[in-house]
Amino acid sequence: MTRKLTPDPSCSIGGVKMADQGAADPGNNNNNKPEASEGTIIKVTVKTPKDKEEIAIAEDASVTQFKEEISRRFKAKQDQLVLIFAGKILKDGDSLSQHGIKDGLTVHLVIKTAHKAGDGGSTSASSSTSTQAGNTSTSSPGTIPPPTAGSTGPAGTTHTDAQHTDTTKMMCINRRPPIWRPSAGFGDLAGLAGLGMGSANFMELQQQMQRQLMSNPEMLSQIMENPLVQNMMSNPDLMRQMIMANPQMQQLMERNPEISHMLNNPELMRQTMELARNPAMMQEMMRNQDRALSNLESIPGGYNALRRMYTDIQEPMFSAAREQFGSNPFSALGGTSDSGVQPSRTENREPLPNPWGPPNSSNPSEGGGGTTGSTSTPGGTNPSVSNPLGINPGSLGNGMFNSPGMQSLLQQISENPQLMQNMLSAPYMRSMMQSLAQNPELASQVLMNNPLFAGNPQLQEQFRSQLPIFLQQMQNPEALSVMTNPRAMQALMQIQQGLQTLQTEAPGLMPSLMSGGVPGIPTGGVPGIPTGGVPGIPTAGGMPTENPASSPSSAGTNAAQQQLMQQMLQMFAGGGGGGGGGGSATTQTPEVRFQSQLDQLSAMGFINREANLQALIATGGDINAAIERLLGSQPS
Amino acid sequence: MDQTDSYPVKLYVYDLSKGMARQMSPIMLGKQLDGIWHTAIVVHGQEYFFVREGINNCTPGDTHLGRPDSILDLGTTEVSAEIFREYLDSLAASTYGSGTYKLFEHNCNAFSNDVAQFLTGQKIPSYITDLPSEVLSTPFGQTLRPLLESMAINPGGNNITGQR
Repeated sequence: MTRKLTPDPSCSIGGVKMADQGAADPGNNNNNKPEASEGTIIKVTVKTPKDKEEIAIAEDASVTQFKEEISRRFKAKQDQLVLIFAGKILKDGDSLSQHGIKDGLTVHLVIKTAHKAGDGGSTSASSSTSTQAGNTSTSSPGTIPPPTAGSTGPAGTTHTDAQHTDTTKMMCINRRPPIWRPSAGFGDLAGLAGLGMGSANFMELQQQMQRQLMSNPEMLSQIMENPLVQNMMSNPDLMRQMIMANPQMQQLMERNPEISHMLNNPELMRQTMELARNPAMMQEMMRNQDRALSNLESIPGGYNALRRMYTDIQEPMFSAAREQFGSNPFSALGGTSDSGVQPSRTENREPLPNPWGPPNSSNPSEGGGGTTGSTSTPGGTNPSVSNPLGINPGSLGNGMFNSPGMQSLLQQISENPQLMQNMLSAPYMRSMMQSLAQNPELASQVLMNNPLFAGNPQLQEQFRSQLPIFLQQMQNPEALSVMTNPRAMQALMQIQQGLQTLQTEAPGLMPSLMSGGVPGIPTGGVPGIPTGGVPGIPTAGGMPTENPASSPSSAGTNAAQQQLMQQMLQMFAGGGGGGGGGGSATTQTPEVRFQSQLDQLSAMGFINREANLQALIATGGDINAAIERLLGSQPS
Repeated sequence: MDQTDSYPVKLYVYDLSKGMARQMSPIMLGKQLDGIWHTAIVVHGQEYFFVREGINNCTPGDTHLGRPDSILDLGTTEVSAEIFREYLDSLAASTYGSGTYKLFEHNCNAFSNDVAQFLTGQKIPSYITDLPSEVLSTPFGQTLRPLLESMAINPGGNNITGQR
């Protein structure tokens, strides 16, 4: 063999064809004998799944020579090397130039594992005694019979299925519940209309998706028909796991051990899942159940038994489902119930809806369908909450909240405290809020781009100035807890109503209050006033006889109200203190102070909470005086 | 003699937003994105894709995403099923193991791109691989980044190594 010094590797002169072997080695390899040969040296990147190396080789080298070099570099036997370039497997007899391998290109390498050793995969070795390239003589059969050459995919991957079918399915499936969330965020949403605030979007999407699912049975059945879902549902262990994972269910089970027995009965589970899959069958079952129940009723003593049954079982279920709301299993009717039985047991302490009040917003969210149906939506049930206090959410909140988009959002929130709860408890929400808070530039940019604000520069300005405070508030856990507490939200609304009324009643009063930091309540809030019920000083009817009565009372209550307002404003501007209704440690709102009196008043039949509050404030908590006041000013 | 079988390689492209991105992206992001792309490589009769738990495979078209929005032909490869399997195992143990998934930098499309290059020498179209940077170049995308990264896109299938 003749050896000559290699010419300058960097210039690409056409190489002389080499007669024999001899891997070229420009000498920057430390563990190779420096061999030189004819031809230009090219640097080819050899890439394995784990690694890549640059190998210098003569341009006209053969694949075998290349492999020699590679086997040295990668410490593998030449037989184990499989080189792929441009979709072709490089065979020993070929030359690099034949395949068009030039300087700077990448060749892929797979190192076949003989016995779980070497660079290759750490799992079972695949055997290939019959594949091309002829370099498989040392490969071991492994644990599975070798697939025949030319057979397509399934043969090559059957070993996976054989080994791993059930467990991987389980594992894949166990993680399936999160699917609903991203697909709510990204796809599978027909008719997603009315995206509101940018930052609230994704949770809203999820909620909307759930709602849609509930409302659109076809969609539900479509999803049910998906073989993957069916597969999942036919696995009782899995279903049980999913159900148990729901904290509400866990609580429920603590209270009612029979339920856990029910869950543990695989037969029953299977039946339940069959039901969930087949909506028609479900309806049938419900009907049967209803019929049976009604039969029960006719038996002497049956009604009591039914009632007991309801209160023992269903009510706790409702409460568990609605626990997030904090208080009241009695105020929400229907939704999840399939029997629609009225809650009983204790008298209704909630003030009845204000018949003279503003029209209720009338789109309660759909409830999770039935007790068994709830298991099919891993996101949790969504019972509807009608708006018992007749509050018009349209007049909610601070000045900046008065835009229609915000109003609708808040409307939804007040209707569905679950939404807020979910939204805030989602882990990514927190991190997103943090990042928003840290980067107010971003947040404002995002919001400015939002079409909601696009047409309204005033609002933008307001929002921008409020933004840091707003963000801070969002961070404040107390503020968060206020937002999740529906009663607090409602109280906030009432306060806003009061503010607005004040603005019309005593416009001179407001400018002095505005120095507190809240931007002037835009006149967009004014339309809220005639519809805003009768907050405190009834003037909606425009009865002249009342006005003289109301103005002294307004004058009388001014001082107290002013104080109240200032406290409110301080709290909002300060960004802390847990908002209006939370009863923070720093200031106690009159509402909180007079809570018991308010309750008494409403128990007596004074349904106008706002009026009650004003009266109480005016009289300093004296119930009797407040009643007199109310009787004097209210049409009875 | 050596056999040189030739296996077709296809790229299945799914729009995760089902058309929503095409409509909403100008509003939300300020630029037009035709879809939120998820891709998978189909070869040897199986569909392979990369998700948070690792590399998964399934029968082509059988993920819960349904039919792909488009199917691109990447050419053919000589790589046999066995070698491909080894390659994937190796990837699953290293660059594309479970826990390496990053929505913006190291996602299903990166996997498809790498595998496509391995199998055929071709890359996948750039409009797919450029998607993360397109999104991140908008303020909205930046804001939503932590949110998006925590979400998992799991079209289904079985993990090829049976790992978590």
